[in-house]
Amino acid sequence: MNATRRYFRIRLSAAEIVLVAALALAIIVMSRLSPQFLTVNNFFEVTRFVTEIGLISLGMSVVILTGGIDLSVGSIVGLSAIVLGASFHAGVNVWLAALLGVLAGALCGFVNGLIITRANIPPLIVTLATLAIYRGLALGISQARNYRDYPDVFYKLGQGYVGPVPVQFIVFVVFMLVFVLLLGRTVFGRAVYALGNNETATRFSGIHVDRLKLIIYTLSGFLSGVAGIVLVSRLSTAKPDLGLGYELDAITAVVLGGTAIAGGSGGIWGTLLGLFIVGIVRNGLSLAFIKADVQLVFIGLVLIAAVVFNQVTRRPARR
Amino acid sequence: MYVDRGRQYSIAGFLAALLVVLALAAGNFFSLGNFSDILVNISFVTIAAVGMMAVILTGQIDISIGVTLSICSTVAAIASKAGVPIPLVALISVGTGALLGLVNGLLVTRFKVHSIIVTLGTMSVFRGLLIYFTKGAWIYSLPQDFRSVGLGTFLGIQNPIWAMIIVLLVAAWLFSSTAWGRSLYAVGSNPEAARLSGIRVPFVQASVFVVLGALVGLATMFYATRFSTIQSNTGQGFEFVVITAVVVGGVNIFGGSGTVLGVALGALLVGITGTALTFLGISAYWEQAIQGLFILLAVAFDSVRLRRRRYVLQKVRGGV
Amino acid sequence: MASLLEMTGIQKHFGGVQALKNVDFDIEAGEVHALVGENGAGKSTLIKILSGAYTPDSGTIKIEGQEVTIANPRQAQALGVVTIYQETSLYPDLSVLENLFMGRQPRRRFGLLDWGAMKKEAEAVFKRLGVDIPLSARLGDLGKAYAQLVEIAKALSQKARILVMDEATAALTSDDVERLFGIIRTMRSQGVAIIYISHRLDEIFRVTDRVTVLRDGERVGSERVANVNQNWLIQRMVGRELTNLYPRNIRAPGKVLLEVGNLTRIGVFENVSFSLREGEIVGLAGLVGSGRSEIVRAIFGIDRYDSGTVLLEGKPLSSKPWEAVQSGVALLPEDRSRQGAILAMPVRANMTLAVLHNLHKGGFLDEKQEASITDRFIQALQVRPPRSELPVASLSGGNQQKVVLGKWLASNPKVLILDEPTQGVDVGAKAEIHQLMDRLVNELGVGILMISSDLPEVLGMADRLLVMHRGHLVAELPRGASPEQAMAKATGLEAQGIAHVR
Repeated sequence: MNATRRYFRIRLSAAEIVLVAALALAIIVMSRLSPQFLTVNNFFEVTRFVTEIGLISLGMSVVILTGGIDLSVGSIVGLSAIVLGASFHAGVNVWLAALLGVLAGALCGFVNGLIITRANIPPLIVTLATLAIYRGLALGISQARNYRDYPDVFYKLGQGYVGPVPVQFIVFVVFMLVFVLLLGRTVFGRAVYALGNNETATRFSGIHVDRLKLIIYTLSGFLSGVAGIVLVSRLSTAKPDLGLGYELDAITAVVLGGTAIAGGSGGIWGTLLGLFIVGIVRNGLSLAFIKADVQLVFIGLVLIAAVVFNQVTRRPARR
Repeated sequence: MYVDRGRQYSIAGFLAALLVVLALAAGNFFSLGNFSDILVNISFVTIAAVGMMAVILTGQIDISIGVTLSICSTVAAIASKAGVPIPLVALISVGTGALLGLVNGLLVTRFKVHSIIVTLGTMSVFRGLLIYFTKGAWIYSLPQDFRSVGLGTFLGIQNPIWAMIIVLLVAAWLFSSTAWGRSLYAVGSNPEAARLSGIRVPFVQASVFVVLGALVGLATMFYATRFSTIQSNTGQGFEFVVITAVVVGGVNIFGGSGTVLGVALGALLVGITGTALTFLGISAYWEQAIQGLFILLAVAFDSVRLRRRRYVLQKVRGGV
Repeated sequence: MASLLEMTGIQKHFGGVQALKNVDFDIEAGEVHALVGENGAGKSTLIKILSGAYTPDSGTIKIEGQEVTIANPRQAQALGVVTIYQETSLYPDLSVLENLFMGRQPRRRFGLLDWGAMKKEAEAVFKRLGVDIPLSARLGDLGKAYAQLVEIAKALSQKARILVMDEATAALTSDDVERLFGIIRTMRSQGVAIIYISHRLDEIFRVTDRVTVLRDGERVGSERVANVNQNWLIQRMVGRELTNLYPRNIRAPGKVLLEVGNLTRIGVFENVSFSLREGEIVGLAGLVGSGRSEIVRAIFGIDRYDSGTVLLEGKPLSSKPWEAVQSGVALLPEDRSRQGAILAMPVRANMTLAVLHNLHKGGFLDEKQEASITDRFIQALQVRPPRSELPVASLSGGNQQKVVLGKWLASNPKVLILDEPTQGVDVGAKAEIHQLMDRLVNELGVGILMISSDLPEVLGMADRLLVMHRGHLVAELPRGASPEQAMAKATGLEAQGIAHVR
């Protein structure tokens, strides 16, 4: 029925129109600046770039939808990378080591969720603390060493192609579609939106709110773990400072995509839009030999403009 | 005036326990020299934390202060190299910080956008502008008088410690005894009621960003002057240390409650941790993990303590 | 005597809707004037015009014969018009003293706050009210009733001449209501004019001098209270006469559904035992803080209990809300907008929230079933407007409550716990909810446990009434008991003997 269409249709709010305009503007400017920009190959370069942040943003979208936040994702990337590197160097098979890395990520997320629900401390504070703890564990375990020299087959994940498409982008698209369906079409997704809009009423409706949060934070940790593995494969090395600052990029993508920071409204399509603006701007400007400074200014301005525009055009709810 | 002293007691207790462990494990920790080193090291964090406390009291947050520190450092270093006298350099640094704070404050209040998002955006913009103007270059060979700002003493106590104490005392007085100070608590506790009471909520909300910016500008004078070069990525992660000190110090992250003494203790605890590890012979690489653990313990302890007390008029707020 | 306040020919449009049509209203000094009407009749609009939140399209406002314009809340305050809203406008984190003076603290030199002067004035105001509240206490630690008193004290210290009380008793229990009435009488004798808005008609007769009825934005009656009766009021409010206020068809109760044995939560309630049978409505009365809402929260699993048993059809009931729902217990909570409905989400999402766990087909949300459940209950409960896509926030209070009720009926409960089901609900919707309750017990054999602060209502609806006092179950009254009997038990007048024996 039209239900299917409803969840796959991309509804554009005022802020999203700003984003699409910004994206279009960015693409036009970039293609003027650099002839390589509007090529299929370059598009896939962009997708390679967005994969790691993109994976994290998927989990972050769900977390922010419930009115929470996860600042520890960047540290989880680093810790997963170190778990992978350390266990591989301890003689574990590389794929098993990668699995351990992902599981370590999921475990980190699970611990976040456990503290948030059991100790009843705001997610901002819990994940601020675990941001330090997980990064500290990565540093402590590795003693600031790098782990290199993985078998070539492992590099396929972050450096290989299927036709013209980078392998990691396929991974991202699969996860993205799963999340679109999960949020839009399942009981879980409905509960996420209910929780984000009114936690008390959701609890009073007999929904297992604590378990829901536990799942959400575990998912966020899991995806950060996957991102960590992809990153190690792309860079051919596991360092304890991998993923530093990724939390801000992921939050930027999510918020840029129109998900309300207080929870309850937004979705994956918006996040995707936010993600590509960040990705394309960074890639395009690099191709045009424009340095990081202008990229940062542009991304910051688009973020503020989109949110301000959303505020200004949104009709007052009640008068 | 209602003051929740419980949190101060719990941090003080925690600090005391840490000190006892240190005394047993490493007696030389308690030398006067070491202690004043610690105080000098936390002075700039404490000064900024007081400003952050004002922002958090009103129910907001500012994550752009790492960049503010960076910009103020650069501006101060350039001014000092140009031969500007040190007091004027300090004034310029404070003014620059206040100006950046004003930008945040105006964006938050004019457009009613959540401060996390505004400062996430300005953080990016400010950092970009800084790199654009400095071309990412480091600033070398700072003049000697600039580098000795933090080394001077008065009555045998180092200048940064004096500055920290003065800021703490002034803040304690401002926050508890003036209409502006009390309005911070009111706005954080119930913004709608504050509006109905005739408090100029937007003014209060914007003013705290300016105060924070100015204090970061002041903190710069005891931060940047410790190094011989200023890097363009200096100050990254500063926001986390400062927010940690404030939160560990018992300021409610949703606004409305917290004390200056608590924040001072919070900063001290965060500061001592690093030094303590060295004395206990633990690799510095573990420092971050242990600091994080302290935040969790402090907050979890407080959460259990508060849970016994909450009743009918409990605040209802969303997450974050 | 000249009127203190005279509002004449007040008109107000919102878009195409005329909220007020040529309304006149006046009040004298030392008078308590009730303003009544169903939800949406225009009471709030009129009050918001008076308090400066809205400006009227036309009409004049005179205070002591002088024409005034009230453009914002501050001007209203300067004229001595102070409004106490339903949602308290206080600061939970600050002390009582600071709550009284925030935003207008007396100052000493150098802009320092004059705590001494504040204390003196606060003590004077509380003395005038005849209450004793510790000034340094954190407001959030006090109960709702005290918060209300602090609001009133704040109004008095602002030199209020006209005090508007909008549903001031909604959150209070009989005990606190009595105290409030005492305070209202004191203020009246001191020459304060009080505009009193309430859904509880008995209060109108007990405390007010004059009553003005609004219906659909028009004034349909204004009389001295002494000259009218309850029927007169109801007739004007709804435009028809309600013959049967509490429709009940009593049937013989069936088997025991819910059995609560020696339930204890230390410091909140102690050794509470009762049972609920198929096809009966059991009322639960008591003052706020008596433990009545806390008991049902514990039964449903929102709060923990320390000892005791809860059996559903003879089997222990899990103390987790999600398991309680699946075994057939439903709780319609006290606070509709916070605990009951998710205002921003559409009616259909709210209606299916309690059965969400069963609402999947092949891993996905079963939208067909969702639509059929929603349509069924929109019809059965006559939710207006009957549109499942509307966000609940856009419905009136009564219809919001119907949505929350629908959510629970969709879960097909055996035991339905209703905590203040008609609070803030207009007269028409109230009657519909009462009829629905009667049908549920008679036709479906549901057992209903009903909490209400409105004693005539709960006595009218219940088969029997349990009364709580200070965490103890102190009495069980049969159908036909008088409100006075129940009140005596709830206020502890007759319970002291029991307390001593214990």
